[in-house]
Amino acid sequence: MMRSGAERRSSLRAVGLALPLVAFVGVMFVAPLVSMLVRSVHDPVVADAMPETLALLDDWDGASVPEEPVFEAAARELALLQRERAIGQVAGRVNRVQGGLRSVLVVTGRRLGDAAGDSWRESMTEVNEAWGEVETWHALRTAGERFTMRHYLAAVDLTRLPDGSVVRQAPDRRIYVPLFTRTLAVSLGVTLLCLLLGYPLAHLIAHSPPRRGGILLALVLVPFWTSLLVRTTSWIVLLQNQGVINDLLVAAGFIPDDARLALIYNMTGTFVAMSHVLLPFMVLPLYSVMRTIPRSHMSAAASLGAGAAQAFRRVYWPQSLPGVGAGCLLVFILAIGYYITPALVGGSTGQLISNMVAYHMQTSLNWGLASALGGIILVCVTGLYILYDRIAGGGRLGVT
Amino acid sequence: MRAAGGIGRIGQVAYLGFCAGVLVFLIAPILVILPLSFNAEPYFTFTEGMLRFDPEAWSMRWYREVVTDGAWTGALANSFIIGTAATVLATLLGTLAALGLSSPHMPARRLVMGLLISPLVTPVIIAAAGMFFFYTRLGLGQTHLGLILAHAALGAPFVVITVTATLAGYNRDFTRAAASLGAGPVRTFRSVQLPLIAPGVISGALFAFATSFDEVVVVLFLAGVEQRTIPRQMWAGIRENISPAILAVAAFLILFALCLLWAVAWLRKRSSG
Amino acid sequence: MTTARRPSSDEPHVEFENIGKSYDGRVLAVQDFNLAVRRGEFLSLLGPSGSGKTTCLMMLAGFEMPTTGAIRISGRSVHALPPRKRGIGMVFQDYALFPHMTVAENLAFPLDVRGMSRDETGELVGRALRLVRLEGFEGRRPGQLSGGQQQRVAIARALVFEPGLVLMDEPLGALDRHLREEMQYEIRRIHRTLGVTIVYVTHDQQEAMVMSDRVAVLRDGRIEQAAPPESLYEEPERSFVARFIGENNRLHGRVLSIENDICQVRVGEHVVKAIRVAPCEPGDATTLSIRPERIAVAPRPGLYTNEFDARIRDITFVGDHLRIRVQACGGKDFIAKIPNMVGHGAVLEGDEVRIGWTPTDCRVLDAGEDHDA
Repeated sequence: MMRSGAERRSSLRAVGLALPLVAFVGVMFVAPLVSMLVRSVHDPVVADAMPETLALLDDWDGASVPEEPVFEAAARELALLQRERAIGQVAGRVNRVQGGLRSVLVVTGRRLGDAAGDSWRESMTEVNEAWGEVETWHALRTAGERFTMRHYLAAVDLTRLPDGSVVRQAPDRRIYVPLFTRTLAVSLGVTLLCLLLGYPLAHLIAHSPPRRGGILLALVLVPFWTSLLVRTTSWIVLLQNQGVINDLLVAAGFIPDDARLALIYNMTGTFVAMSHVLLPFMVLPLYSVMRTIPRSHMSAAASLGAGAAQAFRRVYWPQSLPGVGAGCLLVFILAIGYYITPALVGGSTGQLISNMVAYHMQTSLNWGLASALGGIILVCVTGLYILYDRIAGGGRLGVT
Repeated sequence: MRAAGGIGRIGQVAYLGFCAGVLVFLIAPILVILPLSFNAEPYFTFTEGMLRFDPEAWSMRWYREVVTDGAWTGALANSFIIGTAATVLATLLGTLAALGLSSPHMPARRLVMGLLISPLVTPVIIAAAGMFFFYTRLGLGQTHLGLILAHAALGAPFVVITVTATLAGYNRDFTRAAASLGAGPVRTFRSVQLPLIAPGVISGALFAFATSFDEVVVVLFLAGVEQRTIPRQMWAGIRENISPAILAVAAFLILFALCLLWAVAWLRKRSSG
Repeated sequence: MTTARRPSSDEPHVEFENIGKSYDGRVLAVQDFNLAVRRGEFLSLLGPSGSGKTTCLMMLAGFEMPTTGAIRISGRSVHALPPRKRGIGMVFQDYALFPHMTVAENLAFPLDVRGMSRDETGELVGRALRLVRLEGFEGRRPGQLSGGQQQRVAIARALVFEPGLVLMDEPLGALDRHLREEMQYEIRRIHRTLGVTIVYVTHDQQEAMVMSDRVAVLRDGRIEQAAPPESLYEEPERSFVARFIGENNRLHGRVLSIENDICQVRVGEHVVKAIRVAPCEPGDATTLSIRPERIAVAPRPGLYTNEFDARIRDITFVGDHLRIRVQACGGKDFIAKIPNMVGHGAVLEGDEVRIGWTPTDCRVLDAGEDHDA
């Protein structure tokens, strides 16, 4: 297609204007996400630390304990790591593949210096008999994979056996799939609750006279603009054991003082606080759609003989569906990635998958697994966002 | 409410009552903070004295504590420094990008828009995790600059959205008219386009500031002790040493939110009126 | 129809030379466009939507670049000149008054851009407002004005910096009929007062006819005919023009013979004598066009060369004239207009009468696109 010079200039100018922010968001936001996704499949620590051992293990049959050269290479590289004080990091990586190997590696590295003999195999097995077991070498080989899917497998409670087959974790070690399920269930529940609470309210606001509608809308916007931490604090104040609601219930005699309700630091707390935080995100898209539905439609339906319920179901509800879809998707997307509220009011039973990402980032320091969990959430959210974009149109998020 | 007409009186009352209940659910938790922040005792609930309106039971104690506590005042300063710098950056880049995106000749508009909006829909915890690795490697970990850049990226989408929306209502004939009257591109932008999109730019800036001012997750991952902001301090207050001082801070933040809300509503009215 | 006009000089102010414009590289929005506008002339570009009239105006203003050809203003090619350096006043369809500026600020804008002193600016703004009769509105914002007032401000703004050439893009399209007629008068008055050259775009043929010194009728990006309003009405050269301007009876036929510009044209079973205006040969398909007021109903026998039997189908009373629908020439419907004078009761619906017209009122034009021969 031929384009005139003026259009090309105009197009170049548009690109030039958008470029600074594109580059900025690219470097400051997208690149970190990409680097995190890379980290979820790429882990060079062990591979870089023990190249010779791993190269020799490539040819290992995996069925019996490896030959002497493998032991020799492992001993040399572990000793080197010990001298460079880098063994802890490597041992931590291997330990994640098979629990208990951290101390095996650390102790071996420390003690090998004084051990000397004809056979490294004997010396190492002497330091720790784990070296005589096939599983140890399998774990070392797995940890040494530069590119690996094991974080993703772990993130969905799968594990790979030494023979390469993928199986589910033992029932007591399945953590993440139940947590994903719980997160989806809570998100769905919060979404439905928000719809139930938000639909009538949005309807009232949309069809009020302008002045009253403006005031009602402002009441919805007050929590929207109020700091998330303030709102979370409010719920702690209200729901805690010695909080306002329990006090009221006790004062009113509904419950005895020694049987106060556990309303917070559990799933109830997470659910109530999340619904409160996300409700405006449901009301605003609903309101913006309902505002465009002419009142005359309900009158017309009534004049045609439809009862109120029928007129609503067949005339009003179908027209409000775009708002319902946009609002539900928006709330659901935000709920899936929710972190702050569950972290503060969820206690131990009200935690969601995001909290697990934070846990692995900050406490267990299993960054590969944290990245893999983050990657899965990111894919879900991106898919839902594309769907949302189709429904609500580019760039509108009901916030403006 | 004519739209609800026909359901009958009971239905009408139930409908209005339900809506009132939802509004109470939305507003009451926020309002309850305000009186409690004047509690004389270190409790998070109304003491008997407060309910009897005993002047002894009410005090400015927690406000005094906040104002005299270096941790809170330092956090407030950090919040304003980071918020202001991030807002300036986000507003500048976001406005330019919105101008480009609104050109009829912008290639790949949808894709670019999607990219620029992505910080808004990505769960913050994931963004924060990614930033933690990346910013640390760039030497931006535990620096004000790192937080400013991160918050600018999170706030820029709001500017892009509000300015693009304002530009959608901008009549391209204004630009042509200015040109036909002899004005060059710079003059046209300064005298015609900028004044007309200013409400959108300012409300985008307010959104960006509010985003930074309320952001805690990225701060948790990127900030050191030196970069503690108000939300970070509240987080610590809720999680670690729970003290009604945070109620006083919360009351302040509620007033701040009301100011922002009023400012944005006023701007919207101005730009449409 | 005739109005007294200022004589415009013969010196061309604006020249379009072989202008072609394509937006996508394939379809031509404007092609083979040649037109010269004289200094001081009021020229209208008239055509249906999509005929390319606004594109031509935008190219003249500099907002679009011609794909081929050259545009000259006062003999100089303006190809390299950006809009702001062309010194052309422009009135936009939606006025494009800056909503954040007062009326006075809108008017002062072009003067301010040109670095004029405050006194001079105040003087010129005052004069422009007097010209459009809006004294006292200086402090208002566009949003506080009625449509007609906004229109006047837009015109004043286009004139305030004293351009020699003013372009108007359907400026009256948004006004109601009464206001439109008032503004037509106003614009003509201003044109005469200032003597500026005006290029005016409209799709309303009545508006173009009333206001212009000359009208260029456009279709599909080409000029069909550019002529003073009387000529367009009386002497259309193309069937499109004949159909577009005023009301018309159209007969499709085939040329039999030509003698001294009078053609014999076969229409159905009849032979009609008509005047040739465009080159044609015996055997050509053709459209004949006759204005309704040139058809005589029940004339004195033998007065007209073309006379046919007809039957009156209905008569509509339109005040100053009667519209009569007759059937003649093998079922074809004709519209005739006769003045409302004493004696119109002479014909009644259902009457069998004769109708007739002179060959010079019946023009042989191109076949046109709806020819069904």
